[in-house]
Amino acid sequence: MSKVLLHTPDGVRDIYGEECSDKKIIAEKIHGKMKSFGYQDIDTPTFEYFDVFAEEINTTDAKELYKFFDKEGNTLVLRPDFTPSIARCASKVLLENGTPVRVCYEGKTFLNTSNLQGKLKENYNIGVELMNDDSVMADAEMIALLVSCLRSAGLSDFQISVGDAGFYKGLCIEAGIDQETEAAIREQITSKNYFAAESLMNERNIDSKYIDQILKVSEFIGSDDALDKAENIANNEMSLNAVKRLKKLYKVLTSYGVQKYISFDLSVLSKFNYYTGVIFSAYTYGAPDAIAKGGRYDNLLGKYGKDAPAIGFVIILDDLISACKRQGIEFEHEASAISVTYNEDNFDDALKKATDLRQQGKNVCLLHE
Amino acid sequence: MRYLTFALGKGRLVESTMEILNKCGITCDEILDKKTRKLIFTNEELKLKFFLAKGPDVPTYVEYGAADIGIVGADTIMEEKRRVYEVLDLGFGKCRMCVCGPAEAKKLLEHRELIRVASKYPEIAKDYFFNQKHQTVDIIKLNGSVELGPIVNLSDVIVDIVETGSTLRENGLEVLEEICPLSARMIVNQVSMQMETERIRKLINDIKENL
Repeated sequence: MSKVLLHTPDGVRDIYGEECSDKKIIAEKIHGKMKSFGYQDIDTPTFEYFDVFAEEINTTDAKELYKFFDKEGNTLVLRPDFTPSIARCASKVLLENGTPVRVCYEGKTFLNTSNLQGKLKENYNIGVELMNDDSVMADAEMIALLVSCLRSAGLSDFQISVGDAGFYKGLCIEAGIDQETEAAIREQITSKNYFAAESLMNERNIDSKYIDQILKVSEFIGSDDALDKAENIANNEMSLNAVKRLKKLYKVLTSYGVQKYISFDLSVLSKFNYYTGVIFSAYTYGAPDAIAKGGRYDNLLGKYGKDAPAIGFVIILDDLISACKRQGIEFEHEASAISVTYNEDNFDDALKKATDLRQQGKNVCLLHE
Repeated sequence: MRYLTFALGKGRLVESTMEILNKCGITCDEILDKKTRKLIFTNEELKLKFFLAKGPDVPTYVEYGAADIGIVGADTIMEEKRRVYEVLDLGFGKCRMCVCGPAEAKKLLEHRELIRVASKYPEIAKDYFFNQKHQTVDIIKLNGSVELGPIVNLSDVIVDIVETGSTLRENGLEVLEEICPLSARMIVNQVSMQMETERIRKLINDIKENL
């Protein structure tokens, strides 16, 4: 007999049985929460032209995209992220009359990450985007909806770290730091490597006054009192506006009653340069990284030809479920199907019984005796 | 209160690490007892746990949250490229990552020829030769006694950690180029940093003051 390939490639896997039905149930609960906030479903193609993703992705990450060619020689990419696709689609059709657009999506994303690091290459994402609304209320709705989605999955012990890209950007502009240096510092601050950020800034001859200010972002962690401290050191308008906005955001989140899940952290930045305002990540025990990420990206849509503010988040469902399991959270499982047996003589009766039960909404398996 | 778990890289870093922790009022003498067969050591008073792991595994334990905090050499962090926060340069365990070989191999590094490089750190070697020197090289991964490489003609040069250079000299090799300085680092799990912010930040500050 020829050798049969029975296992899947690295980084992808089969999901079946109870695990699969649990996943569907949780996805449906989260989806239900999104619907309850008035979000409408959207579905975009699994692969797109490379250019759609080129804007948001820097050269190192471009290596991690699955790329292939069509007959005409265009480069196509399996989507690594939904946001650019939705921005493209929205700028084309959804944003015409300037009223807020709320969409939710779910599906798989693909990233060709390196082997043997325990990271999946195919991930199931569920997320939302809220476009044409630049208010603090929109920021708050996003975070409150995320809290409500995570709670609906059964999670209770989690933390959402909230920062604002504008605070750090303002400091960099004030200090006259060029884009390339800014990106290098951002990378170090994102991994909380402040001594590397410091030596980098010393190397590039940045004024020590600004070095101190930038390194201070590490200290603004906690509830709203962290924001008071941040307000005291910022001298430029952009940074001050960022802090003021976060303070307003905290007030609205208090109205939603979700403030206990929020911790401000002005060192929360993203490697994606397209974030312009509030940035947030949700953390819980049992997951190696954030289980959900989001933020405001007011310039991205403009790149597809329609200027509009937008904010969104995405939940990595596989990470969320594995974190829940590690925390011992009990899932509501699908009820097992009722068995109705038949033999050659009584098939008609058995069929009628099964049909009746199915009509009552029961799950029925018709089995031979 | 939840336990905070430390993963320490086995070997020469352990004593210096415990010395600094002692200065911060954190004790765990059992861990220094060479005869013990225990794998996990506990400080019940402060709700801390410690375990020893092979250096390259420390970032892995920390990435998955099996340990909240890790103490390990910068070489391992660069090689493993794990998603962890690198929060502190502890300053001890200082050494250098270098390209080494016999003196006559020096010219091979100038002419951008295709040469063979043996190393325990293939990622660091690759990054240095490809992205900084722009030299095409064949990298051979070895798991120990890398100095043998040039001696038995497996490779032209090696990329390895140099502390005093005495092993190199004894074997007729020398440092040809320095890649970067190294020292012990403290790394923190991304989730623990967010969930236990207060405790971990206090710990970092205490250690910083005692360096």
